[in-house]
Amino acid sequence: MAWLWNNLDLVLGLTLDHIRLSAIPILLGFAASLPLGWVATRVPWLRGVLLTVFNVVYTIPALALFVVLPGILGTKVLDELNVLVAMTLYATAMMLRGTLDAFGSVSGDVLQSATAQGYSSASRFWTVQLPLAGPVLLANLRVVSVSTVSLLSVAALVGSGGLGRLFTAGYSRSFIDEIVVGIVFILLLALLFDALLVLAGRLVLPWARRAKAPTSIPFVKVR
Amino acid sequence: MNFIVDAIAFILDPANWAGETGVGARLSQHLFITFLSVLIAAAIAVPLGLLIGHTGRARGAIIGITGAARALPTFGVMTLFVLIGIQFGAGLSLTPVIVVLVVLAIPPLLAGSYSGVEAVDRQTVDAARAQGMTEWQILTQVELPLALPLLVGGLRSATLQVVATATIAAYVAQGGLGRYLIEGIQTRDYLRAVVGAVLVAALALLLDGLLAALQRLVVPRGVSRGSARTKRSSPGTATRSSGTLEATRTPVTEG
Amino acid sequence: MFSRTLKRTAIGALSLGVGAVLLAGCTSGDPLAEESGDTAGGSITIGNQNFGESEILAQIYGQVLAANGYDVSYEPGIGSRETFVIALQDGSIDLIPDYAGNALIYADPEATATSAADVEAALPAALESLGLAVTAAAPGEDSDALVVTPEYAEANGLTTIGDLAGIPGVTLGANTEFETRWREGLGETYGFGDFAFKAIDDYGGPGTLADLLAGNIQVADIYTTTPSIAENDLVVLEDDQDLFAAQNIVPLLNADILTDDLAALLDEVSALITTDVLLDLNAQFAGDDKPSAADVATEWLTAQGLL
Repeated sequence: MAWLWNNLDLVLGLTLDHIRLSAIPILLGFAASLPLGWVATRVPWLRGVLLTVFNVVYTIPALALFVVLPGILGTKVLDELNVLVAMTLYATAMMLRGTLDAFGSVSGDVLQSATAQGYSSASRFWTVQLPLAGPVLLANLRVVSVSTVSLLSVAALVGSGGLGRLFTAGYSRSFIDEIVVGIVFILLLALLFDALLVLAGRLVLPWARRAKAPTSIPFVKVR
Repeated sequence: MNFIVDAIAFILDPANWAGETGVGARLSQHLFITFLSVLIAAAIAVPLGLLIGHTGRARGAIIGITGAARALPTFGVMTLFVLIGIQFGAGLSLTPVIVVLVVLAIPPLLAGSYSGVEAVDRQTVDAARAQGMTEWQILTQVELPLALPLLVGGLRSATLQVVATATIAAYVAQGGLGRYLIEGIQTRDYLRAVVGAVLVAALALLLDGLLAALQRLVVPRGVSRGSARTKRSSPGTATRSSGTLEATRTPVTEG
Repeated sequence: MFSRTLKRTAIGALSLGVGAVLLAGCTSGDPLAEESGDTAGGSITIGNQNFGESEILAQIYGQVLAANGYDVSYEPGIGSRETFVIALQDGSIDLIPDYAGNALIYADPEATATSAADVEAALPAALESLGLAVTAAAPGEDSDALVVTPEYAEANGLTTIGDLAGIPGVTLGANTEFETRWREGLGETYGFGDFAFKAIDDYGGPGTLADLLAGNIQVADIYTTTPSIAENDLVVLEDDQDLFAAQNIVPLLNADILTDDLAALLDEVSALITTDVLLDLNAQFAGDDKPSAADVATEWLTAQGLL
């Protein structure tokens, strides 16, 4: 793989761009899905509306969204903001359904007993619902993370930075090595993000790990 | 917003539908590519998924493969296969594109099939067995009809993914609605690009809507959706049931 | 079992780590891409299109400038002319090696100049309204060329582009923008306007060649300095009506950065770039040991005594 060694700085530069252009949407998408998810569980009709809207966003093919957003946002097609907004919309759409499932999976009994103990709505969300929904949220976040890293490569068709450029350049010059490097690095990045998320999960949700141990007592069993 | 209005005007103008590079031709190319890929993928994935769901084996491996497949950048794999295809002397043909799209469509179809079978109430299966039905009869007359909603869900995901990714086929010298997008982007003709965007988005939404309706239609009479109480998989923790749903939910559509 | 403090420290370290990675990403990318065409410190961003010759030429000009005190950075794979003209105008790049005839037609669609001298003379005025400029053109040319296989030429008696008129079932393969640019002209000048078009965006590269040899396309646009033409005995159809004007290599730049010093340096290099040089460098680049464009450029420049 001589090409890789000769162009290591190019590839690393593209990798850093790729990290930036995927990490931001992943984090923003996750962050956005939390309030949206919470609102959706509290206001039933809003749940339907939100799901429908984001379902539509999710259904629109990425390249189409990259092209249409500039007209709506007033940016240029080659602007980075364009790609970031589109990727964040997708990440949010992907996370939202998962977030709703996650919040829905928290047992109603637990919530009621929390209220009975005097938790306010807000502190109940942060200290009871969110932590209990944690494992499911994390599982979804991992899926969203992998998908985002992979999807970003398409943005190269609208001139975006990132490892997708190795695909457009590789194709134009009929250079298989370059494309293979792109695929491998994207896979590595996806693995890296996933590992980071798993690690974060272990630190932030230590009880989830305990629950998976075969001889442990299931964590929450409200009778 | 003006561009979208202009794009719709372009699409509604019958003059733009005619000819080899008209909307009509490109739409049919796109549909052809999509249906061919999904059909081949279904022929491979559905029997396999039903078998996995019925016997309960190899499930872990399949989930692993599905997860790994999600990480593969389809754009990269497609350009790679096309370049490899050149080495075989046939020039730039449609075959590598179809291969990639089939590979892309297999995971959701596989997942839809096996999770559909898994979701069937174990007691129903036991009752069927107690009545003396053979394994084959159980699979085709009991599990399959009950599995249809999730199976069609998998079909829906697969179709969506393929329709979206087929737009990239336009970049590697094939036809389809993606041509408007690529032409628009490369010649900086924004209107043309938006025409492509609107067409692809509309097609995706249309197919998704049709398949969603189909998903509701195939629920066997007398069964309320999602009421499977005793799943064959281990008692559902939140993670696990989400995992089943995950199987049919797809990574974002590329293209 | 993690103690609370240890857990918090770990979370903190993890966040720092993630943050550092993110920040590293934020500061990556070409720093000069955001600057407007400011060359007070002699910094210059050179772009190139996604094919070998363009990259080699960018390296040739860039390395000479770097050797003479300029701070050079590269922006490869810029895209078609429609895109890189905008990039020049907004300062994303400062210079790109271009082809005189096509640059002229882009700037002035009504231009009629076809000879090398006429095209070069007409360029500055045409480019002025775009805020662009050129330095002296090189003697070397690389033009669009419609090529066919020797068998197809013989079977249909083809020697000029005009001979294609009226032949049924012809598919032409070229980059996407070729159709927008040339279909009308081909129709008007040669009566060859209703061919089927297959967009192969590899600048007359291996994909285009493979399709031509496999018979998927009958005519291909392969640039004249591409080694594959000679290697495969391809027949270049004569452009006897001069539809494709003279395509001498010419550095295209943002007018704001043009100084006499810069022009002098660029002219010195351009004067040495002949068509044979282009053929030779392209052959090296496509050769078995796949050298990088930078290496090909360095080797040639050293041999010319410019480095």
